[in-house]
Order: sequence, then structure tokens, then C-alpha cells
Amino acid sequence: MTPLAHSVLRCLSDGAFHSGESLAQTFGCSRGTIWQAIEHLSQHLPLTIYRVRGQGYRLPHPITWLEPSAIRAGLLGDWQLEVAETIDSTNSALLTRASHGAPHRTALFAEWQTAGRGRHGRQWLAQPGAALTFSLLWRFECGVAGLSGLSLVVGLALVRVLQRLEVPVALKWPNDVLLDGEKLAGILIELSGDALGPSAVVIGIGLNLIHPTGVDQAAAGLENYPMPDRNQLAALLLNELDQVLGQFAKHGFAAFRAEWEASHAWQHQAVDIISAYRPPQPGIALGVDNEGALRLQLGDGQEKLIHAGEVSLRRTLAHS
Amino acid sequence: MDLRKLKKLIDLVEESGIAELEVTEGEEKVRITRVQAGGQTTYYAPQPMAQQVAVAAAPVAATPVTPAPAAAPARDDKTLVKSPMVGTFYRSANPNSKPFVEVGQSVNIGDTLCIIEAMKLMNEIESDRAGVVKAILIDNGQPVEYGEPLFVIE
Repeated sequence: MTPLAHSVLRCLSDGAFHSGESLAQTFGCSRGTIWQAIEHLSQHLPLTIYRVRGQGYRLPHPITWLEPSAIRAGLLGDWQLEVAETIDSTNSALLTRASHGAPHRTALFAEWQTAGRGRHGRQWLAQPGAALTFSLLWRFECGVAGLSGLSLVVGLALVRVLQRLEVPVALKWPNDVLLDGEKLAGILIELSGDALGPSAVVIGIGLNLIHPTGVDQAAAGLENYPMPDRNQLAALLLNELDQVLGQFAKHGFAAFRAEWEASHAWQHQAVDIISAYRPPQPGIALGVDNEGALRLQLGDGQEKLIHAGEVSLRRTLAHS
Repeated sequence: MDLRKLKKLIDLVEESGIAELEVTEGEEKVRITRVQAGGQTTYYAPQPMAQQVAVAAAPVAATPVTPAPAAAPARDDKTLVKSPMVGTFYRSANPNSKPFVEVGQSVNIGDTLCIIEAMKLMNEIESDRAGVVKAILIDNGQPVEYGEPLFVIE
């Protein structure tokens, strides 16, 4: 992004109209140059800019930019904190830094990611200011075999924060956060380590504040709920993750199991386990075990533990 | 353990020239031993399948072994890369990208070999030795157990 485009975007982030003329005056350039900067923004960012004749340019909603000092003001623990304006992927960047010795409790936020990733390389898109996207590095003493259930407790940390803010969220196994049955937040955990440990774990989180457009799956946003500003919300999430991950490192998933099941969106419902390489497996979601595996009751009444795959709610036809 | 996997293991023993290979998977365990050329060759599937597979003229024999007691660890073979966790085996970063490694490829220490996913925890398995990938023992997208051999690297 050009420096001018960047400055113009910062100026527009109050959500009010700014005329081409006033912007040109502010930045000491021509209106044509401002027009080019606006074009540049529209082309390079997943961003809508309203242009109204006689009034000027306006963003659909105001943007509160992330500020390390503002996040730090709300933090209880000690974090190495960084906000990147543009980055390919916070997870990739942090994984690289982890291998170069970045410390435990490093958090990297990004205003937008050019190559944000979901599971299996799925693209994760966020408009500027419309989401909180960040990754954190947590170093565990134990090996990777001791980390089962980690995915679930990260989802639970998000749910705790959002439920306290009176958002009726629920969990989809292993760790999607759902609002009204649609995905509000996604988590991707990547790690390197061996069976014996220690393990460097990078936890990537994307939380929609505003309902995203142009994604290939149904998604939810938080527009209808009063929220603290992005910096305060970021601090609340880090504080909760700090607490939950610390407890998980000591006690494992078992201590969280009942709480997870209490927020499980599809507890005791008919589901299909979907996997790219195997046929769907139908069953009843009984809950999770002490390792975080999904307990699936099969048609013959037997119970099977599911460690991978996606769960989809089965829309069973009513018995007639 | 299915016959396909068993065949892979037998091929593996033949190709690598190692004398004996023992693999434990859940409650099943199979040991494959090479015998002198010209000796009798009979193949058995592991318990509890109790199927007999006869393959002609290969100097390898598979002997069924009863389920291992929990305390007995499988023999550690220095050429095997094993799964550090229960999960799903992926040979590439996503379905559209090419596999991290192919059979015959040389790898260095730290090269990514595969990803094991468990509950959205993506664990990149790196090679802990330099060598040539002699065999890939698991198909893409298949479940793996803790300690299950994934690759042979010599």
C-alpha cells in the first residue's frame, strides 16, 4: 500500500464523510492524487468505500485500529506484543519466529493478512477493522502427545470471553465458535515438536466483529452486540487465553471437559463426521472424552472416538 | 491392519534388506522376518484376522504375534519415522499442493515430511535425520496411531 493511501485510510477510519478537496488539502496534494489513493485502497484491500457526489468518501463503519499500548493497558500478564499492519499470515510469521527463539507468550496481531490461512490452506479473509486476527506463541514443556484437547480449550477461552459479554455463542467440535449456528471465530493451531517435548505451539485466531462478505461458508458477526473496542477485546482474549493455557499445561483437558460440553452446540444431536478422504460417518454426538476426542454413538449403539474430521449437523427428516 | 498395509511392510522389508521388522498398531502387532533365500515362505495376516496370504518366491516371512502386553514397547528401528500422536496423516499442506516428500527423495534434518492433524492441531513432522525416503507407509488422509511408523528414511 502506498504511504498516501495508508494515510487516507487512517483519516477515513472515523466513519465520517471526507471530501476529496479537504483530503487533498490535508495531505498537500491534488484531488486527482486522492482519487488515485482511494482507487488503490479499493483494489488492494477487501474494503468498501462509499463515494457520494458533493459529500466525498466514507467507510461503511468506523475502524478502531489496533495499538500495542492500548492492548497492553488491558493485559494482566506479561506478553511480547506486536501489531503488524499487513502480513502474509500471523501463524506463518510466528512459526518462523518460534524456530528462531521467539519467547513464550508472544502475540502478533495483524490489521489484515494477505494470505491468512484456515485449515488445509483455506483462505481466511478479513476486511480492515472487521475482525480480530492474531496468533500467539505458547511454549509447552510436554511433547505433542500431551497436547490433545488444546484445540478445544482455546475455543473455550473465546467462548468464556464472549459469553461474559452476553453473546450467546456455542462450540462446534473441535473448536469453531458459532453464533446462531454460523461460524463466528476460527482457530488454527500449528506446532513443531516431538513426542517428548518441549513443543512450540502457534495458535491462530480469527474472530469476526463484522459479518464478512464474500467467504465461501456461512459466517456470523458481532454487529448486534455491544462490544468493547478492538484493543480492549484483544486484551480480554489474551488474558483469558493466558489463564486457560496455563491451567491446561498443568491439568490437561479433563478439567475443562464439563464446561466444554455445557457450551457444545450439538450435544446429543445427530451429526455427520466429514473427512476429505473418507465417506461421511453418521452418529450422535455424545460429547467429548478426557483427551478432547469427540464421542460418537454409531447406529449399532457402539461408541467411537473421533480425532479428526469436521462435524456437520445432520438435518434429519422428522419421523412421520 | 489391512492387507495393503501388510504388503507395504513386506515390500519394505524386502527393499530395505533389514532382517526383521515389528510393527504395533493398537492391539495388533506383526513381525516380519527375512529368511534365507530358498527357505519356505509363508505369509500370515496379523491377529485377529487369521487370514493366510501366500505369495510366491519372496524371501520374507510374516509371523503372526499375539497382541502385545501394554508394557512391551515395539522395537525401535532407527530407519523409521514414527507418529508422535494420534491423528490424520497428510502428505501435503493442503489438498491442492504437492506432497512434502516422495519416495526416492533426499531429505535433510528439519525438512517437513508430513502433517499429522488431531482436532485441528496441525503438527508438522520434521525429519530428524538426513537420508533418502525409502518408503511412505501411510496413505494420505488415513488415521495414524501413536508410535505408528510413517516413513522409512535411510
